[in-house]
Amino acid sequence: MSAARMTWRKRGQLFDPTKHVLPAQCEQFAQSPQALVCDDRIRIYFSTRARDERNGKYLSHVAFVDMDRGMREVIGVSTSTVIPLGGLGCFDEHGIFPMNVLRHGDEIWAYTCGWNRRVSVSVDTAVGLAVSHDGGLTFQRRGDGPVLAASLHEPCLVGDGFVKVIGGVFHMWYIFGTGWKRFGEGLPPDRTYKIGHAVSNDGVAWVKEEARQIISSRLGPDESQALPTVVEVDGQHHMFFCYRPSFDFRTNSARGYRIGHAFSDDLVDWVRDDEHLQLGGTPGSWDSDMQCYPHAFACDGEVYLLYNGNEFGRYGFGLAVLER
Amino acid sequence: MFRWKKLGKIFTPQEATERPWLKEFAQAPATLVLADVVRVYFSCRGPADANGQYISHSAFVDLDRKDLFRVIRVADQPILALGGLGEFDEFGTYPVSVITDGPQIRAYYAGWTRCESVPFNVAIGVATSGDGGESFTKLGNGPVLPYSLNEPFVLSGPKIRRFNGRWYLFYIAGRKWKLVNGRAEPVYRIRMAHSVDGLQWTRADKDLIESRIEEDEAQASPDVFFANGRYHMFFCYRYSSDYRGKAGGYRIGYASSDDLIDWQRDDARAGIDVSEEGWDSEMISYPHVFTVDGATYMAYLGNQVGREGFGLAVLEGALT
Repeated sequence: MSAARMTWRKRGQLFDPTKHVLPAQCEQFAQSPQALVCDDRIRIYFSTRARDERNGKYLSHVAFVDMDRGMREVIGVSTSTVIPLGGLGCFDEHGIFPMNVLRHGDEIWAYTCGWNRRVSVSVDTAVGLAVSHDGGLTFQRRGDGPVLAASLHEPCLVGDGFVKVIGGVFHMWYIFGTGWKRFGEGLPPDRTYKIGHAVSNDGVAWVKEEARQIISSRLGPDESQALPTVVEVDGQHHMFFCYRPSFDFRTNSARGYRIGHAFSDDLVDWVRDDEHLQLGGTPGSWDSDMQCYPHAFACDGEVYLLYNGNEFGRYGFGLAVLER
Repeated sequence: MFRWKKLGKIFTPQEATERPWLKEFAQAPATLVLADVVRVYFSCRGPADANGQYISHSAFVDLDRKDLFRVIRVADQPILALGGLGEFDEFGTYPVSVITDGPQIRAYYAGWTRCESVPFNVAIGVATSGDGGESFTKLGNGPVLPYSLNEPFVLSGPKIRRFNGRWYLFYIAGRKWKLVNGRAEPVYRIRMAHSVDGLQWTRADKDLIESRIEEDEAQASPDVFFANGRYHMFFCYRYSSDYRGKAGGYRIGYASSDDLIDWQRDDARAGIDVSEEGWDSEMISYPHVFTVDGATYMAYLGNQVGREGFGLAVLEGALT
C-alpha cells in the first residue's frame, strides 16, 4: 500500500467559543468538532464546559454551531440542551465529550463518550448511543448504560467512538485504555490509550477486535492516541487522530498533541504515515502549541478537516481543506 | 412441599487468626465439592480504613465432607489479587462463584471500584485456577461482563452454572441509585446471560424476578439449582431503605422455571425465614444450594449480611 502526499490548506480558526454566548452557562472550550452535513448548512457539534457547582470541576456539555455549506459563515449557535448529562452513578454523569453523529434513515444517531469521575484515578469513560428524531436538535438515550465499555483486555477508558457504515457494516474506531500509571514521584496517575476497532450489524451490539492496537505507536508504549476519524479519499481509507506522550503533555508545548495519519485499503491493516499529513501549528497563532481532536468529512466535493488548537480547544476549532 | 431445617452457624470469621485481611464478614458462600472436603468460598474484610471504608477479599474454608461442621482449613491467602490502579476490581473482589472446567476451575467474581458521586461501581470478572482452586489468575485486567445499555452499573453477585452444555451466568444489575437521607443506595435486579465459552456472553436483557415488596426492591444472590425436572432459584431481597435492620432487611425468596428465562416467583415456598433469636434472627441472605453425599444443603448469611459468618440448613422434602 502507498498513499499520495496529502496537502492541506489551513483556513485558520473557524469558531472561537469565547466570542459567542453558549448554552448551559458554558464558557470557553469548543472541543472535538463533529460535522453533520444538512441540506442548507453544516452543523458542527462540539463539547463545551460548565463548572460543577458542587466542587468546581468541569462538566462537558454538547452544543453545536451551524455553518453555511461553504464553511465560511456562522449561521447560529445552539441555545438549548442538545443532550442532558447522565443520571446519578451513570457512565456519562460528568460529561459528554466527544459526540459523533451520523444519519441513519430518518434519524440521527449519536455515539457519545461519557465521563464519570473515580476516586483513585480521575475518570473513566464508555461509549453510549443516543438518537435524534428532530434533525439533531435534541437526542434521547437508547439506554442509561453504554454500548461499548471496558472488557477483558481493554480494562478502562473506552471512548472517542467514531462510526461509519461501510458496505452495510457498522464500523467503530475508538480508544481504549491500556492502564494508568504514575510517571514520577508525587505525580497524579496518567493514562495511556490506543486506537481500537469494533464492528456491528445494527450499531447497537458491537464485536470488538479486543485490544488489537490497529495504529502503531510512533512514540512507543507510552504514546496515547485519541479521537480517530476516518474518511474515504479516492478509494482509500484515511484515518486522522491525535497523539502525544502519556505524561507532561498539558503545558509543555513540545509534548502536546499532534495530529497523526494512517491509511488502509481494506479497513484491517493500517499504515501509519504522519509525514504525509503536513499539518503543523502556525507559530504565534491559536494552534501554535497543540493540534488535536481531528474530524474529517466530505461535502460538495471538498474534504475538510476540523481540529482543535491550543489548550485542548479552549479557544475553539479551525479548518483545513484538502488540496485536490 | 419442602423446608430447610437449620443446622446452625458453620464459620465465624472473627475466630480466624494471622490473617489481617480476614477480620470480619464471611459473605456469599459458594461451594466446590472435592474428594474429602467441601470447599466453601466466601468474601471477607480486614479492618475499615480511616474513612470507614472496607476492601473485600475472597478466600475459602475447607469443611470435612463427613462432618460439615468440622473446619479443616482456612485459606492462607486471598484467592484473587486486587486489580491495579484504575481497574474495575481495584477496591475489592466480592462475591465469587466457582465451577469446574475440565482440569481447571473457573471463578467469576465481582470487582469493586470507587466513584465520586456514588460510593462504588461493580463489574464481573473471570479467573482460572490450575491448582485445584487454591489460587486464581485473572484472564484479563478488565471485566468479562461490563456495563451495557440496559445494565448501566453495579453488575454484581455472579453465579456461574452450566446446563445442557451451555454456560449460564446469573447476576444482578443496578437499576438506579436512590438517594435515601442523602446517601446513594443502589437498587438492583436479577439478570441472566448465556454463553458457549463462558467469555462471550449474550444477555437475556430482562429482569428475571418481578418485584414483590416494593417497586424499588433490591434482589441479590440468584442461586439456581436443577432438581426433579425444574430449575429452582433461591435469592434474597430487601427494601430499598432502612434495610440494615430487621424490618427492611434481607429475606430469602424462591422462584422456579422450566426454561431459565421465565420464572414464577413464590416466596411462600422458600421454606426458610429468620429465627426467633440468635445469629440469623434479623435477616437471612445470600443463599447457596448444593448437594453432597445424597443430601441437599443451603448455606446462607445471617444478621448484618454475614458480618459474623454463615450457616447451614438441610433440605427436608423434595424440590419440586
